[in-house]
Amino acid sequence: MVSVRSIYTTPSSLTYSDLPWIIQHREDRCTLCGRCTSVCPVQAIYLTYRRQRMPKLDILQKKRGNEYRHFVGIRQRTNIEKKCIGCGMCSMVCPNEAIGPVPNSNEQRALFHLNQKGEAWKRGGRRNMPGRTTLDRIVFDRISMLTDPALDAGRHEFNLNTILGRILPPEEYIRRHTAGEWIPPTREIFPFVIGSMSFGALSPNMWLGLLQGVAYCNEVLGIPVVMATGEGGCPPWVLKSPFLKYIILQIASGYFGWDEIIRAIPEMQCDPAAIEIKYGQGAKPGDGGLLMWFKVSKLIARLRGVPEGVDLPSPPVHQTLYSIEESVMKMIQTMSMAFGFRVPVYPKISGSTSAKSVLNNLVRNPYAGGMLIDGIDGGTGAAYNVSMDATGHPIASCLRECYLDLVAQGRQNEIPLFAAGGIGKNGNVTQNGMALIMLGASGVHIGKYIMQATGGCLGNEMGRCNVCNIGICPKGITSQNEKLFRRLDPDDVAQRVADVFMSIRTEMKKIMAPLGRSQSLPIGMSDALGINDADAAKRLQIKYIC
Amino acid sequence: MSEESSKTVTIHGRDKAGHRLTSKIFEEQVRTAAASADHLLLESFGQHNIGLRLGDPQTPLTIEAGGPVGQRFGCMGQPGATLICKGSASDDVGYLNIGADIIIRGDTTNGTANAMAGGRVMIGGSIGARGLTMTKWNPDYPKPVLWVLGSVGDTFAEFNCGGTAIVCGIEPKNEKNVLGYRPCVGMVGGMIYYRGKTDDSYSRTNAKLTKPTDEEWQWLIERLPEFLEAVERPELLATLSVREEWNLLTAITPQERALMFSGPMPMAEFRHRIWSQGFGGGDPLRDLAPDLDRSVIGVIETGDLRRRKPFWANRDSAAPCTFYCPMHIPTIDRLRLIREGRTEEAYEMLLRYTPLPASVCGTICPNLCMQNCSRRKVDFSIDVQILGRAVRTAEPPKALPATGNKVAIIGGGPAGMAVAWHLALAGVEAHIFEKSNQVGGKLAQTIPWERLSRAVWELEIERFLKEDNITVHLGVDMTRDKMEELKKEYDYVVVAVGTHQPRTIPFPGHERVIPALDYLKAAKSDQPIKTGKQVVIIGAGNVGCDVAAMAYRLGAQQVTMVDIQKPLAFGKERKAAEELGAVFKWPVMTREVTEEGLITDDGTLIPAQTVIISIGDVPKLQFLPDTVETVSVAGGSWIKTDEAGRTSDAKILAVGDVERPALATNALGAGKRTAEYIVAALKGEKWLPFRKKVIQYESLTTAHYDPEDNKGTTQDEQAQRCLSCGSCRDCHLCETICPTHAIFRRELLPDKDKVGYEYVSDDSKCIACGFCADTCPCGIWSMRPF
Repeated sequence: MVSVRSIYTTPSSLTYSDLPWIIQHREDRCTLCGRCTSVCPVQAIYLTYRRQRMPKLDILQKKRGNEYRHFVGIRQRTNIEKKCIGCGMCSMVCPNEAIGPVPNSNEQRALFHLNQKGEAWKRGGRRNMPGRTTLDRIVFDRISMLTDPALDAGRHEFNLNTILGRILPPEEYIRRHTAGEWIPPTREIFPFVIGSMSFGALSPNMWLGLLQGVAYCNEVLGIPVVMATGEGGCPPWVLKSPFLKYIILQIASGYFGWDEIIRAIPEMQCDPAAIEIKYGQGAKPGDGGLLMWFKVSKLIARLRGVPEGVDLPSPPVHQTLYSIEESVMKMIQTMSMAFGFRVPVYPKISGSTSAKSVLNNLVRNPYAGGMLIDGIDGGTGAAYNVSMDATGHPIASCLRECYLDLVAQGRQNEIPLFAAGGIGKNGNVTQNGMALIMLGASGVHIGKYIMQATGGCLGNEMGRCNVCNIGICPKGITSQNEKLFRRLDPDDVAQRVADVFMSIRTEMKKIMAPLGRSQSLPIGMSDALGINDADAAKRLQIKYIC
Repeated sequence: MSEESSKTVTIHGRDKAGHRLTSKIFEEQVRTAAASADHLLLESFGQHNIGLRLGDPQTPLTIEAGGPVGQRFGCMGQPGATLICKGSASDDVGYLNIGADIIIRGDTTNGTANAMAGGRVMIGGSIGARGLTMTKWNPDYPKPVLWVLGSVGDTFAEFNCGGTAIVCGIEPKNEKNVLGYRPCVGMVGGMIYYRGKTDDSYSRTNAKLTKPTDEEWQWLIERLPEFLEAVERPELLATLSVREEWNLLTAITPQERALMFSGPMPMAEFRHRIWSQGFGGGDPLRDLAPDLDRSVIGVIETGDLRRRKPFWANRDSAAPCTFYCPMHIPTIDRLRLIREGRTEEAYEMLLRYTPLPASVCGTICPNLCMQNCSRRKVDFSIDVQILGRAVRTAEPPKALPATGNKVAIIGGGPAGMAVAWHLALAGVEAHIFEKSNQVGGKLAQTIPWERLSRAVWELEIERFLKEDNITVHLGVDMTRDKMEELKKEYDYVVVAVGTHQPRTIPFPGHERVIPALDYLKAAKSDQPIKTGKQVVIIGAGNVGCDVAAMAYRLGAQQVTMVDIQKPLAFGKERKAAEELGAVFKWPVMTREVTEEGLITDDGTLIPAQTVIISIGDVPKLQFLPDTVETVSVAGGSWIKTDEAGRTSDAKILAVGDVERPALATNALGAGKRTAEYIVAALKGEKWLPFRKKVIQYESLTTAHYDPEDNKGTTQDEQAQRCLSCGSCRDCHLCETICPTHAIFRRELLPDKDKVGYEYVSDDSKCIACGFCADTCPCGIWSMRPF
């Protein structure tokens, strides 16, 4: 006699099979140790007591009635704010493989109800579109068989580095050199750059772990890796350290953390690698940065010069800039001058149809040190889902168009293009990066891949985890809560950074050796590329192969 | 070669005209000659592949090349062949050699001993790049050996599998580096003895540098003289016999490699030596966040590292019974006391909440408490009427000592009685001024005895009157003057006159209509109103139903209840009227009432000898001073009160139906509330209304209870069925389920609710799994961030 009054439904009432992830719990294996419910970042699971009616229906006996069996299990909550995010921490801590989330292959009705109280769905991660990308499908098919000197990736010496900064045409270089005029600063860097992830978006242990790994790559492995800070400043001790030279400082429309940077300039031991002026981001083009209040800890508030526990949105545009010309002129000039014209300064824009217009302005600006284009598959710590999923331009064709535009002007060797957005999305980081390089990029920025490879980020493009925005990252990568970020050992992160770049280095050689290239990066070497998609081949002006 | 049968043949590499023979023709001549000679002198002229596949161990063959030789001298050399080049040689000397001794007195260029699988190559000078690459070793045959008197070029011994090399470093091409740049890449076997300086660029992941062991040194020193003899430099033996000058590079096995650190420096060492030093030897955040501890923790932690922790919030939330009861009677506590065998205490506790438990809780109240009982989610609510009625014979509780204060209460209905009761218990003198000749108000005057047992009622009134500090003045007509006197004489005056002015409607013939209030009062008196056989009641609420029941008792045969809307009657009252035969008609608008009965607005006649109107009563407030504000609603004036029952006159309070019409239970609740306010005010204490939140049903764990077939008939059965919402029932389930044994029970001195224990979670053991909160049947444990 269970009262039906206990069952209550609203338009947003859901059952477990409506949710994106279904918790499978094996009662026969569970020891009720409590670790899964303890670790669950969203309290999606709980211990439940169940009662099963066992009717006694012996037809030959007069005795009738019901008995009840009781059992316990771990179940998932079905209210939308506590829905399972699929991170799988429960299975990670389970001593008996008794529990874990499985993706719901059915249509997920929960998606229709994520907008409770009129709040549009915000999340972290990147475009939730799984599957092979255009970059994944590009192959390197110009293999030199007896036609070029045979190269051996394991044996030959390769120069894998690229140039960040404005490169003068030879005659102009000689003229300026002879005349003692200013020569634009350049940096020889590894073409895979750790893209902008701010101190704030990332936890202190993750951010410092990355920088430690970058320092290790440079100082021990001899791989000149640089990393970009993202918007949010840089701890003063880091600014005053010798590791600043491995850092690209970002200035974005929120200007967070720049007071500390300016204050530190007189005490800097070295110059930063470059200055990145952020105009746009691939994950959310046309939208500003967003650090949600959950993550504005005392430390972050102090570094950014803001109150604790408030939302920190950056506007979509720099507030005092009204045109491309003005942006390019004002920002690049100021930033160049701040560091004595010794540091390359370049803008970062989101992949869009206006990328070429920006590029054309940069070409005419003698101080512009490059351009970074971030495509639609770029990641972010926090954005509206609709921006992430549906706004932007894939990097491949955007980059290619810009590069061919430079080629048409004969300026392709002067202003380096950097590409970002979904590189390594499916784990093929070197292949993706080299494909972009051969399409015309001088280098690539990788962010999400780095989080996945070096921090153990659990997120994917099937909507797994994706809670970077609310500061509950179960691995401690994007949380400002000490109880979470201390789970991450910066030494481990640094070690993984070293592992990643050592292996990218090897894979680059494995790609370059068959092409017969060892002494310069095959930037724009698109005759070496093929794709089994005629339309993509046509658009990218590379070979169609099948 | 010094045998008797030795035969020497000379072959010329140029024809008589001085033209070079092709390698093909030259090879044919050499091969033909080799068939019948064991010593060939070749006046070669740059022919390739000299010595290819010649000789065998049974018939040894020596070939000496005096002229220049082409590429691949000694190519595919066979065991039994000795191939000597008196000068220098070109590329790939000893290519794919499987057994020949190949002696070059001068230098060779690139690719020396490439892919050699057996035999010896002995070089009297130095060699070019890529020497000793891709060598093989078949364990059925001796290992290939390369001797070099001088130095070797770059990328030496790549992918070396089995070859042994000896690089003597005599007159090297580059004095600073006898092994060339980056030797040993991909080397998986073999060894390299060398002597002299190097640039140390050998592949660290493929080769390791050692000194020759005794055995290895023995091997070398035994073979040195033969090599020096072959390259005609025997005088160097002493120079090369200094063991300390020799080094050895040997291949690293994959097993050894797996144990090696993958990078050149352990990360911890990097952190100490380089990373921390970059920040002046400390944490880079020490200025920004001086107290920040960034040391590594686990995923499941205890103590302050948990994200949440359990709180034993016993009695923080109200059970639904307590919350929804206007008097907030904690029925869960009554039942707890009964479970604990403390029945008398349970009764006394109830009487401290209400003077009329049997009449109201046990009889006429619709039991708001049980309409929300959590047990309904399992089977049926608790039967609270059993509990109420059980208290009917209980003695009144002892009052506190008299305080010397006194309060006048106008009206002796349930609201006034409640005020008096609670004041009296607190030691305040309560004087009731009642207009009629009895206390109890409408409960006494209008509720038919069928619904409210006379025996029960009289017992409760008797108990009420027995209570110390209560004085009742009956038959008092209240006036404005009298009010003024009371205000002066008493600390407070509480108005609790209820609603005793019936509402009527001025349709034609309204003077023929009897107000329900008058009808019911008369019915319970000695002179009931004469009732016709056919009765119409205008207004089909619960009071109308009481009227109908009374009319049947007084002789009616057909009662029709009309209403302009869907009748509001519900529950026991409606059921009783329907069972007696009352018919509900709606919507019905009354046009007029005549002798014949009620005529509706469409002209239909509902025949009736008696027409009664039951559309509610309003207060009679003619005695009220102007200082008390009223509000006019629904054809009457009601006293404006705040949450304590205070009016706009500081000395006058109002409770019950004069505030707004409601249930008798609400009147009792209002009386209790205002009495408590007065007691607090007299003591100068702050009064707080009931502020507990009702417990969330979801926090209970009802699966611990099995559904039963019926409610049961005894108070003990009710006590067992109670879920004890929000109040610990001391079941130890939390203690039992806690996986880390963090929870334990601790005895305490009993508190005001007579709870003498608590459950505690030990922070040093708790991992914040939440099992306690998920298990607790009563919803006491809750997990909260901290």
